[in-house]
Order: sequence, then C-alpha cells, then structure tokens
Amino acid sequence: MDTRIPELGRFAEPALLILVSLSDGPKHGYAIMADVEAGTGRPLGPGTLYAALARLEERGLIEALPPVDRRRPYRLTAVGATVLAEQLHELSEFAQLGLRRLGRITGSRG
Amino acid sequence: MRPLSTLLLRLYPARWRARYGDEFEQVLADRPLGPFDVADILLGALDAHLHLRGLGAASEHAKGFAMSLRIGGYAAIVGGVLWFSLLAGNAINDGQEANWAWLGIALVSAVVVTLVALIGLSAFQARSHPLLTWAAFAIPALGAVIALFGAAVMVVTGDSDHAIIGGLGVWEVSTIGLLLLLVGSGLFALATWRTKSLSRGASALLVVGALLVVPGLTGLSGSLVPEPLVLVLLLATILPFPAGWIALGVSALRVTGPAPATLEGASL
Repeated sequence: MDTRIPELGRFAEPALLILVSLSDGPKHGYAIMADVEAGTGRPLGPGTLYAALARLEERGLIEALPPVDRRRPYRLTAVGATVLAEQLHELSEFAQLGLRRLGRITGSRG
Repeated sequence: MRPLSTLLLRLYPARWRARYGDEFEQVLADRPLGPFDVADILLGALDAHLHLRGLGAASEHAKGFAMSLRIGGYAAIVGGVLWFSLLAGNAINDGQEANWAWLGIALVSAVVVTLVALIGLSAFQARSHPLLTWAAFAIPALGAVIALFGAAVMVVTGDSDHAIIGGLGVWEVSTIGLLLLLVGSGLFALATWRTKSLSRGASALLVVGALLVVPGLTGLSGSLVPEPLVLVLLLATILPFPAGWIALGVSALRVTGPAPATLEGASL
C-alpha cells in the first residue's frame, strides 16, 4: 500500500508531519518544528522543513500567509486538507490491518 | 545574525533565498544550531539547487491538476442545470408539442458538458484511486460518445430510423448511449463515494438519482398511478439526478476554493 504524499519522494514523511501540524490552524516555520518535535519526539531540521514546505506549496497543499515580524505563517488549503485526510485514513486502515494480524498471532500463541 | 547562519543561508540558490530567505533566517535565529541542524541545512541547500531545476514542470503540473478539477466542477453544475431543464421540461410537457430542434441542442449540450465533468472530476480522483476511478468513468463516457455519435448521424442523414449497427436504428443507438450515460453516472458516483475525494452526500444523491431517473422517465407514463400524483412522482424521481450533479460540482469547487479552518471542514 502506498501511503506517501504524492510525488514527494524522501520528503513524504516530513510533509505528512507538517500537514498534520497545520491541521489545527496556521503556523510559522519554528512553530511547526516545535509542534512536530512535541508530537513525535523527533526533531525536524530546518533544511528538511523548508524543503518539504517548498514542495507542499508548489503542489497547492499549503499556502503562505503575509509575514508577521519576519515569521511567515502557512496554512492548509482545501486540497491539502483533503489529501491529508485521505493519507490519514489509509494509514489508519493499514494500522488496523496490522493490529488485527498481530492480534491473531498473539491470540494463537496464548 | 550569527556568522554561521549567514554562511549556511548563502549556500542556498539566490531564487530560493529571495522567497524563503527572511523567514528561514528567523527560524535559525530562534534556536541554537547544533551539528544535526548544520548537516540538515547542508543537505537542504543541496536539495534546493537540484530541486529548483525541476520546479517549473512541477508547478505547471499542480496548476493543471487544480484547473481540471475546477473545469469538472463548473461542468457538473452546468450539466446538472441542463439535465434539470430537459427532464423537468419533458415531465411537464409530456404528450404536448415540443420544439425538437431546441430539445436536441439542449440534449447534446447536456451530454457534452456531462462528459467534460466526468473527465475533470475523474482526473482529480484518479491520483489516489486510478483503477476504480477510470473503470467507473468508462461506462458513462462510452454512453456519452455513443449518444453523440447517434446525434451526429441523425443530423447528417436527417433520418432517425437510419440503421447503423446490427439493424439498430440511429434513434435506438442514441437511446442506448443515453441510458448508459445515466446509469453509468450512478457507477461513477458510487466510485466517488468510495474514494471520498468529493462530498459523500453529493455522491449518494447522484447514485439515488441515477437509480430513479430511468424508471421515473419510462415507468410512470400511462401507469396506474392516479393522474394528479403522476407529475409529483415524476419530479420526485427525476430531480435527484440533476441535483446530484450540481451538488458534486459545488463540492469540487469547494475543494479548489479557500481552505477550511480545520480538517473537520474538509470536503470528504
């Protein structure tokens, strides 16, 4: 099953984390990094962040808002919200499948 | 600004710095730079040099994708209005004199516009569910092509009984094409409901509309239903079809429009 954000290659995972971070409202770069780190426990480097932001913006999944004190917030577009919902739904189905299989294995052992 | 941040920022291409330089500089100023960050920025700068070369093509691709959805949305709305005029007009005007030339033009326009809607909306959904989407697209699209072919033969020959395929007259062939388009629209809507790319409510309405429209048009004329109820039943069975197309078009335009405040507002 392909659960990547389309055509983002190795930036698919950071892009998904960014889209999830923006799903509750606009955030600027540093706030996204802090939110992702708080949510996943893993740091998101500034180089990776902006490589993924540029790709998401090109594909119309996010859009930049006017800067505030040199910090430019980004927000999800409607297309971005739809793509994110599809990705999360597929991931959820995949996770449920895995848990069901795991349940069968642990159940048969027990 | 710290000299290390300045140096790292200079590694990025000028075009990239012109767009992201200010905010990137601010992000670097907001936190202490560790070895992980420096390595990450070096890779990011390399990526920016490589990525900018392919930027034009990607940007055009994104624009084309949004444009096809917008065209599909507008076509679905216009098609829905045309189907509404045709079906409701036919129900109200049943058995009376009709302007066949204008009816023909309206019918051909409805078929063409619906075909455009099918192409635009299918292109949007196919990016995540290509097999299901194009399979569901095939039947109504084939029906539209057959109906248009029949209409073209009728215009050229001026004869609606002219036999063209296996002894079938051009009128019968066109009718088969129209039936395929109407019923196939339901299959397309079912696939749209399954992919969740557009509004599920609008998709369900079109499925119901496609199921009701054919029996509504063919089954009620001269039936045992009392006369005053016939018109009400006709409208109740044929209106969900155009309403479904219009709702699907509106939902497509909402996807290309302004962003929802949160994910709960997304069109699913």
